[in-house]
Amino acid sequence: MAGQTGTILAMRGIQKRFGDVNALDDVDFCLGEGEVHALLGVNGAGKSTLIKILSGVYSKDGGTIEIAGKAYDLGSPRAAIEAGVAVVQQHPELVGDLTGAENIFLGHESAKPGLFSRIDRSGIAARAQAMLSRFPIDIDLGRRVADMPAVDREIVAILHALRLENARILILDEPTSTLTEREKASLFSMMKTLKAAGIAIIYITHRLEEVFEIADAFTVFRGGRNVATHTVKEAREKKISIPNLMLDSDKGLTFPPRSQKTDGDIVLEAKNLSAEGLFRNVSFAARKGEILGIFGLVGSGVDELSKALFGVVAPNSGEIHLKGRAVRFRSAAQALQAGIFLVPGDRRSEGLTMDEDVVFNTTLANLGRASLGGILRFGDNRKQAAALAAKVDLQPPKLDRALRGFSGGNQQKVVIAKGLYRQAEVYIFVEPTVGVDIGARSKIYSLMREISRDAAVIVISSDCDEVHGVADRTVALYKGAPIGAPDRATTRDQLLSAGIMGEMTA
Amino acid sequence: MISGRLIIRLLAFIALVAVIAGLFWTQNAAFLSEGNIRALMRHMSVQGLAALGLTFVIVVRQFDLSFPGVASLGAMTLGWLIASGMPLSVAVCGGLAVGIAFGLVNGVAVARLGLPDIVTTIATGGLAIGFSYFYSNGTSISQNFFMSGILDLNDRKILGLDMPFAILMAAAIVGFVVLHASRFGRGFYATGENRTSARFSGIPTRTLIVAAFAICGMMACLSITLLVASSGAANVTAGNQLLMPAFAAVYLGAALFGRPSVGATLAGTLMMSTMLNGFTLLAIPYYYSDAIVSTVLIAAIALFDPRVSGLFRTLVAKKDKTA
Amino acid sequence: MTDITASLSPARQPAKPHRHGGVFTRYGFFLLVIAVFIAFAWLRPTFIAPGNIHGMLMSASIAALMFLGLTWIVAAGEIDVSFMSVAALSNMIVAGLVQSGSGWALATLGGLAAGLVFGLLNAGLVAGLRLPALVITIATGALAASVAAAIGLGTSISLSNTGFVGSILNLRLGVVPLIGVIVGLLYAISWFVQEKLTFGHYIYALEQNRAAVVEAGVPVNRMLFMLYVLSGLVSSLAGVLLAANLSSGQPYLGTSYFLDGLTSVLLGGMALKLGKPNVLGTLAAVIFLIGLLNGAALLGWTDSERQIVRGSLLLIGVGLVVFARSRNRGRAHT
Repeated sequence: MAGQTGTILAMRGIQKRFGDVNALDDVDFCLGEGEVHALLGVNGAGKSTLIKILSGVYSKDGGTIEIAGKAYDLGSPRAAIEAGVAVVQQHPELVGDLTGAENIFLGHESAKPGLFSRIDRSGIAARAQAMLSRFPIDIDLGRRVADMPAVDREIVAILHALRLENARILILDEPTSTLTEREKASLFSMMKTLKAAGIAIIYITHRLEEVFEIADAFTVFRGGRNVATHTVKEAREKKISIPNLMLDSDKGLTFPPRSQKTDGDIVLEAKNLSAEGLFRNVSFAARKGEILGIFGLVGSGVDELSKALFGVVAPNSGEIHLKGRAVRFRSAAQALQAGIFLVPGDRRSEGLTMDEDVVFNTTLANLGRASLGGILRFGDNRKQAAALAAKVDLQPPKLDRALRGFSGGNQQKVVIAKGLYRQAEVYIFVEPTVGVDIGARSKIYSLMREISRDAAVIVISSDCDEVHGVADRTVALYKGAPIGAPDRATTRDQLLSAGIMGEMTA
Repeated sequence: MISGRLIIRLLAFIALVAVIAGLFWTQNAAFLSEGNIRALMRHMSVQGLAALGLTFVIVVRQFDLSFPGVASLGAMTLGWLIASGMPLSVAVCGGLAVGIAFGLVNGVAVARLGLPDIVTTIATGGLAIGFSYFYSNGTSISQNFFMSGILDLNDRKILGLDMPFAILMAAAIVGFVVLHASRFGRGFYATGENRTSARFSGIPTRTLIVAAFAICGMMACLSITLLVASSGAANVTAGNQLLMPAFAAVYLGAALFGRPSVGATLAGTLMMSTMLNGFTLLAIPYYYSDAIVSTVLIAAIALFDPRVSGLFRTLVAKKDKTA
Repeated sequence: MTDITASLSPARQPAKPHRHGGVFTRYGFFLLVIAVFIAFAWLRPTFIAPGNIHGMLMSASIAALMFLGLTWIVAAGEIDVSFMSVAALSNMIVAGLVQSGSGWALATLGGLAAGLVFGLLNAGLVAGLRLPALVITIATGALAASVAAAIGLGTSISLSNTGFVGSILNLRLGVVPLIGVIVGLLYAISWFVQEKLTFGHYIYALEQNRAAVVEAGVPVNRMLFMLYVLSGLVSSLAGVLLAANLSSGQPYLGTSYFLDGLTSVLLGGMALKLGKPNVLGTLAAVIFLIGLLNGAALLGWTDSERQIVRGSLLLIGVGLVVFARSRNRGRAHT
């Protein structure tokens, strides 16, 4: 690392495979002492796998790890902690009814550890306060964590991770995703103090502007590889475009040709739709015959927007019109009934019944069609499922196999088959290709195009190239608000800067 | 619908029952006599009906501990209706209605009000026992039983089958159709395995949970109706003997066949009844029955638990390595 | 209600600082107990006759002993439905051994050994192998109950002498039985463990966020192991005392303690710690329940009515606990 005194962490040639997917492929990653190093990349790029290896959650398949010049294997979380790696998860595990101080020293309530040690409450409070006083921050650690604002909880979580004196490397996984601008400032000042004390920080974020605000260096991950490591100074001087590094357009990915049809019937229309604290004033019209794209980073409100259209999140104001009629869904069942189908972003927990087979999952969202007088039409279901499996190119086309046994891409194809079986009029795809390999991605894009011939398709994603590549008209959501209106003429770079910076530069 | 794995499990199960039956037969040749097999089937009927109802609740991943108490109340309601001269059909329906009503209360409390299933159903079960004392202040009821024709539910035969077993088979067929061949069955399983995804697929998850509790209550009361018919009296403690066998049947079946289902529950019931019947023939007193059933149940849960079987596998693997 | 709406719908408003509710909600339960008892004393003066008070305190002491382990198991978010059957088993073992000529000392040891065995069995299966607690304790409970019945060949065993256990039970300080003082002391110690030592601290943390406690390096499984062993031991001790108290072994005594145990724990959870089962709450709830049932008997209520009171109280307890937690915790999740 350029310009650093010493290297605290050196990971070389790290390999990690999950089944037939290469999650990390020969990755090098180095961290200087007292350095704030941002880790960037789209979902599934390999950041979190690297972090899990470093924190001992996953064991690596190959490569070496050196911390402060000593080789480590880091086979377990305990080993990682002993090596001086402290992790703050994206959603830190805290006990709501305990105070901040009690949470910081959970498991270390007394000088001698054990199940029957006297709790030294005043001692805990004093120790916690002493820890806190090293930072230019003042929060009330005597408060119940459940009553604390998000930033205070984040600080408690960081102090909890640092409660052991030996911490040399601190990993912060998207700490700002729930923080306001003002709250962010106190987190950053805390990070600066830690940095001054020689603790190196690996900082995972989706907000690129933060990189220039707080980081010394950054590494970009893409497709399981470290594609670039630069100091922030270098990036400024050489005007390196981080977004371009994050997203590569030429890796064999093919997008189907755009639709020439511009005058399809409006099927779904959002008018000034707002949900407090999630998104506001979202307006768009989705037409039959074309794909509408909405680009937004994680935490920008896009996922909640998709759920509002699907009747799961209740909007506070604004209207949804379906084929010209105002509708208000009180449940997903009502939205489905009206002809809307959601391909959810988290397919394992929201889209599929993982222990059931392909036929079960394909027919689940339209059991009326799958049955006659309430009795399932087994033969017909199987026939339809087989046809749909062929249509979405399910590999292997084994209808009796439980979903757990398929790769991410094929699981997603089953969700799409399920949507096709529903015969909806609006299809909303959220993060359609997260965890999906290249081949399946192209297939999914062409399926979306095909579906758009008879229905309105909305694609919502944190992958700018995906949105720009597959959609006909695009708009970006930045911190809950749309930047501009859906437009055919929006270029990829305009969309990118709108979604990442909140302004549409030319 | 029938996979190779299922056939293997089925064959293994048949072999297991055959071995158990064979062992008993060598001890006492009367085990395979017609009379004894009929007795076994009768025993199966009462236990099996309650277990079938419980299967629905377990499929949606909830627990119901109220059905023994509800069954007692159902028995007393049935007895009281018969004693006060109501026609048999009304009396039976009255008993079943009690079960459905309590099931609905349980379901609404758990699915709509968000109360914890275990403690809530313990409480409603306790309430049901309390109510069951109302009719006769706790004494058993048997007036009018002979005249009402309820004893026929036990004594009559249909197609060569004893009435109780015929009822079990009919209930099992209906249950099988609902759980494994109807759209509702898909909903029950989807609700139990991933409630969010089920909701996103338009499945009325809460309604199905309420329905599962209602079915469980109703089946417990149907089961107790047969018990009342065979004993000729309604008793406030009638339901006490249902809890353990029903849970054992469902869990034993699920352990044997990989997940709870109508077939698995019937298999679990058959295995339990075979063992209990066999031990009874060997003159082992009745009060050992729960000990036998619970031992088998604990063993089954432990052995079929993926972590435990995984532990065994690693142990074996270690031995192989050292050897 | 479901994960998604719960995490989204309540806008993250600044929290009102109410840590444990008002004085009234914390101590309201105790006021209720006192009010009910005054009402009984007024309606039926025999309610406060020394003999009646002594009898109630005796029953309450034994019941409270039995529910001590259960309180913490429920507080930690687990369940044990075998405790009353373990008590019945110990009760029958004592009766059986005494009847067959063994002395009370040996019989007592036998009873406690059964509690230890079943405690270890539950602990090993639930805490060790992480098998589902409810089904496992249903099964072990049925096993204990079955063995209990087998000891008496299906009926109860009456005892002609109650040995040294009976003598201890007969000791009294005024209207207070000595055993009441002992159980009171035990509860005081438990309160100390619960409030002042890490063990109690972790019990409540465990119920709220198991992952956080595991992550903090606390030996969670060892804790659960201890809790189930404790529950088996105190239940069997209560069973031993009951053998002397009832001068008999009752194989089916478990059924009456089942509802009372859970009711005491959950109703008691409303006292002091707002929705969290705790030992002092359980103690107060046991006294309340015994007093209520006793007073109701004096007023001539039928078994049926008293059973309905039990069931209703449990339902009220559950409802209050859920209500208190949803109010107290609403914003706890990020």
